[in-house]
Amino acid sequence: MDELEIKKLWQSTNDKLEKSFVIDKKNTEEITHMKVFSLLSSMKPIKFFALLVGILWVGIGGIALSSIYLNSFNEANKFFLFSASIQVGLTAISLYIYLYQLITIYQIDITEPIIRTQEKLSSLKISTLLVTRLLFLQLPVWTTFWWNETMLTDWGILQWIMTLFFTLSFTVIAIWLFFNIKYENRNKKWFQLIFSGKEWTPLMKSMELLEQVEEYKDQNAST
Amino acid sequence: MKKQEQQHIFESIIEQHKGILFKVARTYCPDEEDRQDLIQEMMIQIWQSVHKYNDQYKISTWLYRISLNVAISFYRKNSTRTKKFTDLNEQMIEIPAEEKSENETQLNLLEQLISELKEIDKALMILYLEDKSHIEIAEILGMSVSNVGTKVGRIKEKLKTRFSQLKS
Repeated sequence: MDELEIKKLWQSTNDKLEKSFVIDKKNTEEITHMKVFSLLSSMKPIKFFALLVGILWVGIGGIALSSIYLNSFNEANKFFLFSASIQVGLTAISLYIYLYQLITIYQIDITEPIIRTQEKLSSLKISTLLVTRLLFLQLPVWTTFWWNETMLTDWGILQWIMTLFFTLSFTVIAIWLFFNIKYENRNKKWFQLIFSGKEWTPLMKSMELLEQVEEYKDQNAST
Repeated sequence: MKKQEQQHIFESIIEQHKGILFKVARTYCPDEEDRQDLIQEMMIQIWQSVHKYNDQYKISTWLYRISLNVAISFYRKNSTRTKKFTDLNEQMIEIPAEEKSENETQLNLLEQLISELKEIDKALMILYLEDKSHIEIAEILGMSVSNVGTKVGRIKEKLKTRFSQLKS
């Protein structure tokens, strides 16, 4: 079968099917009456809920911490205060990045050429990795919240070894993940283990797609 | 552009070029129910972009860009896609049942080959089979004409190898 015959086969099959492909005019009209989808209406309720909880967490946390810094800094437990400040600060940065990405993804022009649009969409989706990295970076402060000054006087060596072991381990893991969760490591086993599961499917698919985009772009560069 | 004018343009685009939506959806979506959703998503995106149409490009170029971009993005966000369509009539699109043709073996082979391709390669394959010029393919995909030539050459090679295997 030569090139022309293959094209003819494709076209005749589609022509035949196309003739009986019907789009109801009433429903075409219905689309023109649909409200333009807003960013909020396109979000899944669970994502919207998570975002709301995040905003409340940062808002209430920020107000409470500011009040401690301003009114009762000397009496406050500094371990708690600094741990909570780091946690709320990192959550606020993550929220900002997440919101920025959602809005930017939503604003991408679908009428632009395929490679450009898909590259933008995939890159933005992949940049949600930064949010994950920041969230991992919070790990160590969850182990220092409850520290207090009595530890310095009352604790025995075993308690210290255990506590420092957990805090140091969490710190090493958090820093390692922060620097290693990146697109370049997408094919590593540990990466795929962390990002396995349905909720990560769009991210992993974006990575596959970006690989394809890069193949096309490499070709562009070499020609 | 007034809304009425936009509506008229949208309806005539859909009527005259529904074949583009059909072919792209058929290539990217083997499941019939999903295909209906995909075509609806394409139509919604076309409606939302009508005011942005730039007549420096052919209408088919513009439509291929939208329908291919939607089709490629469709499965990436598959978990959220059904939500949008709850207000629309489920039966708005009638997709014909595929008949067995005389060239069934060749057709199956062609469809199998297309289904094995990666997303952007599929786009290139559709445009090649639709006999689009290298210039138009370059405009739709956003690559250089010479690169289109190289890529199309590879696709031809793939088709040739696959069909010669069938022959032998």
